[in-house]
Amino acid sequence: MVFTWLNIAILAALGLGVAFAGAPLAGSVLLAPRASGGDLRMPYECGMPPHGSPWIRFGINYYFYALLFLAFDVDVLYLFPVAVAYTEHAGWIELVKVCIFLAALGLGVLYFWKKGVFTWPKKIS
Amino acid sequence: MMALADLQIPGALVRLVVALAALAAFVGVNGMLLVYLERKVAGHIQRRPGPFEVGPHGILQAVADALKLVGKQLVTPNGADWLLFWGAPVVSFMPVFLLFLPIEFGPGLYGLDVNLGLLLILAFAGLNVVALCMAGWGSNNKWALLGAARAVAQSVAYEIPLLLAVLAIAAMAGTLHLGEIVAKQGSWPWQWNVALQPVAFFIYFVCSVAETNRAPFDLPEAESELTAGFHTEYPGMGFGLFFLAEYAEMIVVSAVGATLFLGGWKGPLVDGVWWFLFKIYAWLLVMMWIRWTYPRVRFDQILNLCWKWLIPLALLNLLATFVALAVV
Repeated sequence: MVFTWLNIAILAALGLGVAFAGAPLAGSVLLAPRASGGDLRMPYECGMPPHGSPWIRFGINYYFYALLFLAFDVDVLYLFPVAVAYTEHAGWIELVKVCIFLAALGLGVLYFWKKGVFTWPKKIS
Repeated sequence: MMALADLQIPGALVRLVVALAALAAFVGVNGMLLVYLERKVAGHIQRRPGPFEVGPHGILQAVADALKLVGKQLVTPNGADWLLFWGAPVVSFMPVFLLFLPIEFGPGLYGLDVNLGLLLILAFAGLNVVALCMAGWGSNNKWALLGAARAVAQSVAYEIPLLLAVLAIAAMAGTLHLGEIVAKQGSWPWQWNVALQPVAFFIYFVCSVAETNRAPFDLPEAESELTAGFHTEYPGMGFGLFFLAEYAEMIVVSAVGATLFLGGWKGPLVDGVWWFLFKIYAWLLVMMWIRWTYPRVRFDQILNLCWKWLIPLALLNLLATFVALAVV
């Protein structure tokens, strides 16, 4: 059956969250003063007029972290069913399989460590 | 015409509606309470009284703050992306009630009976990262953009040791149902999971501080270097919503932590919801204590702590758990 209470609950909870967040915003629109003009809407940059647009490309140090995270997150997701089923089927073969899986994850960290991803300032060739 | 009694109102629907109404009140009251508590604790740690003017011992300070925030104009900065800018605080707050639903507050006191409760919480908690990203990019402000880049790098990094620590508990309990995890623990502290998994508890605690972007890991809004990070441009209630969402998420991480490691609503002598609330507030007070005690770390330190120490430690801990489960 397509209908489940879980779906309804998720939608209702998210809807309530939006309503709960929207109410004070609506209150602000109704109650707050409406000033305009001058430098009111100027983006804050220590008081000076902004120098260029922030929507630029910048040396993104975090790219490799994002890459590593992606690998880890997908792998960890596979561990959830393993963790739930493990107590019922724990045996040596299963243990070896889990060890291989976790060793691959650990090797990922070691590889990036060796490549210098965790060394600041960046020294990646 | 049908009599009222003949109308079949499903029990799950009643439970859901009551739970959502109760949670709305709980989150609202707790937001107020924690704002007051945070400032009071900060004050006393720094040997000053904290808020004292509004009401006796300043207990109405949070109400005054909320009214003041509502009274501020909602200013959108020039050139900002309106949809991303105003969508961000709403998205940040959106999953809050959902995160509370699977948590069992007391015997039978839960909003939603779902066997994947833990996964549900972990999955929807990730929405906050999206909100920070939207806020940083939509603001048309360089501080906000840098703050958001940091926030994302930090949040995703600390999610992994958190997941690995949680997995160790899930493997021991053999379930992701929060109520069943509580049921498998006893009433006395040595029967709680923390006694069997101290390393996982430690990792979870560090990650819970980092995931909620609190000092000493509050790099995304480090005011000494980034003004206010991702919420630099947010006026009044926009900032207020981020703040409220952060406090709600603090309660969620401490509630999940209390469920997984500290026996949930079970406690010595008399089990019940009071033990759960006591554990949540004890956890929150420790988080506040840490915030006002330790200086902020540098950004490469925070990422390296995670990738070089916590993740290998969490992997080894998980491996040891699997080995122990296979041997026993």
